[in-house]
Amino acid sequence: MKIDSQTYRLTDPGKGGTIALVAGIAGLILSGVGYVTNAEQFFHSWLVAFVFWTTIALGGLCFTMIHHLTGANWSVVIRRLPENLMVILPFMIVFVIPVLFGMHDLFHWTHAEAVENDALLQSKQGYLNVPFFMIRLAGYFVVWFVLSRLLFGLTRRQDNGDGTHDGIIKKMRVVSAPGMFLFAITLTFASFDWLMSLDPHWYSTIFGVYIFSGGFLAMLCFVTLAILALHKNGVLVKEITKEHYHDLAKLIFAFTVFWGYMAFSQYFLIWYGNIPEETVWFLHRWDGTWKTVSLILVFGHFVIPFFLLFPRAPKRSANWLRGLAIWLLLMHWADLYWIVMPTLHKHGVHLSWIDPVTMIGIGGVFVWFFWNRTAAVPLIPTNDPGLASSMKFVNS
Amino acid sequence: MSSTAQDVSGLPDSEKPLLTGNQTFASITATISGIVERKTPPIWYLALGAALSLLMVLFGSIGWLVYEGTGIWGLNNPVGWGWAIINFVWWVGIGHAGTLISAILFLLRQRWRTSINRFAEAMTLFAVSCALIFPAIHVGRVWVVYWTFPVPNQMGMWPNFRSPLLWDVFAVSTYFTASLLFWYTGLIPDLATFRDRAKTKIKKFVFGILSVGWRGGNRQWKHYELAYLILAGISTPLVLSVHSVVSTDFAVSILPGWHTTIFPPYFVAGAIFSGFAMVVTLTIIARKIFGLENMITVNHLEKMNKIILLTGSMVGYAYGMEFFIAWYSGNIYEQFTFINRAFGQYGWAYWIMVSYNVLVPQLFWFKKLRTSVPVMFVASLFINVGMWFERFVIVVSSLAQDFLPANWDYYSPTIWDVATFVGSFGLFFTLFLLFIRFLPMISMAEVKTVLPEADPHYVAPGTKGGHHE
Repeated sequence: MKIDSQTYRLTDPGKGGTIALVAGIAGLILSGVGYVTNAEQFFHSWLVAFVFWTTIALGGLCFTMIHHLTGANWSVVIRRLPENLMVILPFMIVFVIPVLFGMHDLFHWTHAEAVENDALLQSKQGYLNVPFFMIRLAGYFVVWFVLSRLLFGLTRRQDNGDGTHDGIIKKMRVVSAPGMFLFAITLTFASFDWLMSLDPHWYSTIFGVYIFSGGFLAMLCFVTLAILALHKNGVLVKEITKEHYHDLAKLIFAFTVFWGYMAFSQYFLIWYGNIPEETVWFLHRWDGTWKTVSLILVFGHFVIPFFLLFPRAPKRSANWLRGLAIWLLLMHWADLYWIVMPTLHKHGVHLSWIDPVTMIGIGGVFVWFFWNRTAAVPLIPTNDPGLASSMKFVNS
Repeated sequence: MSSTAQDVSGLPDSEKPLLTGNQTFASITATISGIVERKTPPIWYLALGAALSLLMVLFGSIGWLVYEGTGIWGLNNPVGWGWAIINFVWWVGIGHAGTLISAILFLLRQRWRTSINRFAEAMTLFAVSCALIFPAIHVGRVWVVYWTFPVPNQMGMWPNFRSPLLWDVFAVSTYFTASLLFWYTGLIPDLATFRDRAKTKIKKFVFGILSVGWRGGNRQWKHYELAYLILAGISTPLVLSVHSVVSTDFAVSILPGWHTTIFPPYFVAGAIFSGFAMVVTLTIIARKIFGLENMITVNHLEKMNKIILLTGSMVGYAYGMEFFIAWYSGNIYEQFTFINRAFGQYGWAYWIMVSYNVLVPQLFWFKKLRTSVPVMFVASLFINVGMWFERFVIVVSSLAQDFLPANWDYYSPTIWDVATFVGSFGLFFTLFLLFIRFLPMISMAEVKTVLPEADPHYVAPGTKGGHHE
């Protein structure tokens, strides 16, 4: 891997992208085999993998918009990585296609005979019906497409020195402010549609915020890993320093806590209220070996990373951070797995070879795409007026 | 980069100087100390007189309550929680901006906080003081208020540890203690400035004691800044925990409209929202009266308005989610509660809540409006009212019409409900007036750090050796 020190473009992007693509294609082929052998399992595994990678891309969009709106300086130098994640977002529509074919297996509310005999499902038909589901899905992707294209277009214009600094920054904000609102609404309803409606009787007002918290955390971990991978190859070592990943690690810590706060609020209020129509969701996740997964999430997604990220030293150590970021990504997957799979395997965890295969299938293509975008544009926003102060930023 | 020019309108926000009017270290000290050192203006006595009168109304109402009992309020059979709880939640909510500004914005390196943090923290303490009155008196028997604490009495009775009302006691008192310590720690360097400028022996003695021997040496600053950072870290979870716990007062029940999972973050967002609105209201008055337009600039106010727009919209999101999920749940009780909120007997309160809390902040999308002092002043008043009505809607509409129609009743307050609430403003403003008269209302030490001279890399204009040119 080599970088041009003038343009900050990778002159030699290395083999990482190709390896990811090969792995991805292999994963997709094997996923196809999974579909043939066990369609029901395939659709559920695929949904977990699809949501996992989509939430990371969504996190990239959100990070970019927050960066613009707050006028943050420290993050200028790492901004391009979340931006490249954001660019993938509209293309995730390709991976949603299998979900559409699997709707009958995934979503109980699509069964006409089930709805006929279920007063609750009938009352929800105005929302939970296939045509409206499709319209909403299209709506989400249109919003994500428009936002990510506009923001990426502006960042590239800034790179090329089009227009004035202030003009571009102002436009970025003009897009980002309403963008945050659209982001919140689309992410919330997407999480209702794709995850919460798997158990169509159950409902929780915090669900959208809960999925956001996990997805944003996963995005931070992904960006951290990308930076560490660049550093390993000696790229951007001077520009992105320990100080930046110290700040990233603080955000990872904050969002670990935020996820815990959301998960706790949801669980605790339902536990305390103890109304059967709400507790049923958690009871399924306490059945058989699901109990173990529930506890793994409590400790692995919150308690342990909380204590490991609390001190200063691990936040400034590349090796600790790498380990923690990988672990937390695994936990994000476990979280989604725990949300989706109990609808299929009701009485205990039933890991299948199709689970990792779908993750690698979508993930390989995702990483390849990300890497491809990263190699196609400068690695840092070279013309951002905040760049100099971002590079010399130190935590006092 | 020459920063002597006064025309900064073309600069992006991040590079605009936060203070205007060519401030120096000396001018900041002189301006802020001057407010306290100059002769007490007659208007202050007038204001204090008014505040004390209201305080007497509060004492009178509480006295009558203690003598007669909660029957003097408008409480009825389904609505056992009336204005007392509404006022409690409203005041606690207002208390949130202070710690958010002083702790969270500090951790996020938002340097504009320095002009408003002292002021907002003081407001927090006074608002929480007002809030604490209400749970203490709301059952009418203030002489057994110690029962709320886990103190074993002769009958070996303990408060129920699984009751959110007990968590409230811990959460709010912890919050008050931590905020007080944080506020006081921040005051120390400024108290020392007052000591050094004091003209009378008594003042020197009092401020000398209060400033705990502060000398401003290098080592002292080093320790001080670390202590401040640690206190900010400790206070940060409190900003979230207090109102989350307050939300559980409602949400752990199974009452439709109270029991919903989004309550903790929704209450926190609402608290920050109402707190910022109150900071804006008070700041606008104070900067006008004391001529602090160069310290608390329109730039500061605009940033606060952006936070109001953000948190107001978060509250709007929560209203929307509640409504949507009530429908989506298919639960007829949930559905009834929300339809009834909007179109039932308390529909007027619901629409006050929605329009003041969600629609009014949308004005701040426009730069012209969010930088206009009269507009933001009126908007902040609307928001203060709207957030009171939010708590009214939550407390009253859910209680008045719950599961059994036979239990339904209409709740309306009595004069004593109103008097107690209005009286609590007396306490708030009395404390506030005393604060602005005797203590520095802007943190002199901290606000100086935003001057270019405070930057270690600063090179004075006209001197050689700068590599920034």
